[in-house]
Amino acid sequence: MAESICRTLRDGSLEGEHAPALTIKDTAASPFGFDVFAYVLSQLSSFILAGKSQSRVVVVVAFTRSPSFYVDLLKRRGLDVTSFHKWIQILDCYTDPLGWKGKLVESGNAMCISDEASSVTHLCKDVRDLDNLYSLILELGKGLAGQGKAHFSVAIDSVNEMLRHASLSRVAGLLSNLRSHDQISCIYWLLHSDLHEVRVTSSVEYMSSMVANVEPLNPSASGQRWDSENVSLLKQNFQKGKLNVRFKRRNGRVRLMCEEFHIEQSGINFTPVSSEDGTINQGLLPKVQFSLQLSEKEQTERAKVLLPFEHQGNGKPIQIYDGRRSLEDNKNEATLASTGNLQRNEASGEGEIIYFRDSDDERPDSDEDPDDDLDI
Amino acid sequence: MLPTGNCTFRATGIVKPSERERVSLVDALMSATKGRTSSFTRNVLSASSSQTPGIKCGPNGTFFVSSGISDLDKILGGGIPLGSLVMVMEDAEAPHHMLLLRNFMSQGLVQDQPLLYASPSKDPRGFLGTLPCPSSKDDKLRNHDPEQEKGLRIAWQYKKYFGENQQSFDGHRGSKQEFCNDFDLRKPLERHFFSGQRVDCVSVKDSPNLVALQDRCTTFLAQFRRNDGSISSVGRIAIQSLCAPQCTHSNMEWDVLSFISYLKSMLWSANAVAVVTFPPSLLSESFCKRWQHMADILLSVRAILDDDKELAKLLTGYQDMVGFLNVHKVARTNTQVPLILEATTFSIKLQKRRFLVLECLNQAPIDGSSGASYGTSGSCSGSSKTGTLEF
Repeated sequence: MAESICRTLRDGSLEGEHAPALTIKDTAASPFGFDVFAYVLSQLSSFILAGKSQSRVVVVVAFTRSPSFYVDLLKRRGLDVTSFHKWIQILDCYTDPLGWKGKLVESGNAMCISDEASSVTHLCKDVRDLDNLYSLILELGKGLAGQGKAHFSVAIDSVNEMLRHASLSRVAGLLSNLRSHDQISCIYWLLHSDLHEVRVTSSVEYMSSMVANVEPLNPSASGQRWDSENVSLLKQNFQKGKLNVRFKRRNGRVRLMCEEFHIEQSGINFTPVSSEDGTINQGLLPKVQFSLQLSEKEQTERAKVLLPFEHQGNGKPIQIYDGRRSLEDNKNEATLASTGNLQRNEASGEGEIIYFRDSDDERPDSDEDPDDDLDI
Repeated sequence: MLPTGNCTFRATGIVKPSERERVSLVDALMSATKGRTSSFTRNVLSASSSQTPGIKCGPNGTFFVSSGISDLDKILGGGIPLGSLVMVMEDAEAPHHMLLLRNFMSQGLVQDQPLLYASPSKDPRGFLGTLPCPSSKDDKLRNHDPEQEKGLRIAWQYKKYFGENQQSFDGHRGSKQEFCNDFDLRKPLERHFFSGQRVDCVSVKDSPNLVALQDRCTTFLAQFRRNDGSISSVGRIAIQSLCAPQCTHSNMEWDVLSFISYLKSMLWSANAVAVVTFPPSLLSESFCKRWQHMADILLSVRAILDDDKELAKLLTGYQDMVGFLNVHKVARTNTQVPLILEATTFSIKLQKRRFLVLECLNQAPIDGSSGASYGTSGSCSGSSKTGTLEF
């Protein structure tokens, strides 16, 4: 399912449509959003190198990691470093976002970026000016992809950092401008949702066509005190989690998908959901407001109920045959019953009531169809 | 009082759609599509159609314009009354409000009604290229293929066929300009309809406040000043995603409210209607409530989940549905009698992926092996999320 996100981004946008946009959302309870972001970046980069994707170039807008980090990341995934300058550009908003280093007297060589990275890096000194940021992104993308119809994709490290320096409407404006640009084939970004108000998070989700939510496997464990049981659950949360994705499809329906992931040294691994906690099979009974089944207690209570024909009305106990008694008692009971019946006969002078209690073994809807006995 | 979409109170006896994708089925089950209007209304359709195409006389001296969707016109009691403000509450996850807007705009253009369109995109004119074209009568097959079976034909959920009989009655009028066209969403509208001066486009994205939009609305509506004479022309205003996050005015809540009340007052004295869509999930709750109260007609659209097995079991035709439309408020002018709808939730379907259809919800039969009969379980079951059903 993380595969399907990457495939959707890879396929890009159709003519006249907005580019697909992915929001990767995480919280402090399961802070693996960046791992997912790195995974998506490396997957799409490999698609670009293989020539399978609509976009030919990726522009990474790096706010929280230095450009050398990204270069190393892609190197570790096995991508060829020497060709980097052909298909990746990194807009460095990490080293000096507000232009302070330039103002320091002893700035010296402020850039500590590796040689490999510096060839693909472009420094941005003022992240508050979003128009400038927008034009820089376009410049980098078009510069490498060409001016014509060639597409490029944009990866934004952290929307939170952008929101630190600019208002929500400016940031949302930038995102929507990027999405509606003809040459941008897809765009994806990371957002830590607990750093902002709900309104901000929902506005960013409004702007995106896919929302991938990184959640802890055991959400109840994360807020509580450290009991012995909770510790093991919490430990699970340190390495694993759930990825819930909501796709907004073109026809207006929303597709929900869920996967588990596991963080390892080499990266992140996705596995299909193991437990069935999502969709509970309600069974074939319709949802009605009265219960159709009996609980254990109710069943024993039912067995104890004294039915009207089972007592003589004068306090005497059961004197009729019912199938549950053992054989030895039966004989005694039978004689008693017959005498009882005879007594009643004499008393009432009318018909007998011979009552046989139903066997408890018989289930309400047994397999025998009483109509089978009919011979029409 | 009709329930609104986003409030949190629970009223017993009135079931409202819950926040999640599940829909309350009780009012849907108690509904029936009423194809006929009351026999006491005067049939003045023939008289007014000769004056101005696109305007229909309604009860109590009101005039209606079509919303572009014939099902919606029927639900609203004839169409959108002149001078009213329609608000559509968007769902952040689905673009269904665009379907409503497109039909509304196309209907106006086809009937030669000037249009003012405002949107948060940089190039609103680009949207005009996606407006649908009215379909010709040939490709439109509203009726099901009449497979004349010699034997017994069982009309399952027969109420949905009532509308088709109505269609055949309306068709015989034969006037060239219909009140409401059927739009083929796959065919774009011919350019000559919107290339002229009839369409005015405004982008609200980069403007610092709503003053510019307000001025444009004023000048536009000045053409349609209402006087006691006949109606010469009718104008339409379509504002898409007011208060979208990328607009600067999205922070200025009170300014937006004063713009809406200004628009409403202008509309009352003009022969025009306005449709405004907005994303309620991105606004503060009190703000959202105020918006809803300002609307004359309040609709909301909701997305549905793909592959929702439970919903597929509960509703027939789930595969064709793309979303839900809820009608919260219907305008009734010049009368104190409210319009009480038999159903407020409708499913949005695209017939043959081209024609927008709104249908009442029909519940699927309960799985027979459980032994419960359709009737009893139908009235007792419902979405477990609502909870406060009382019978």
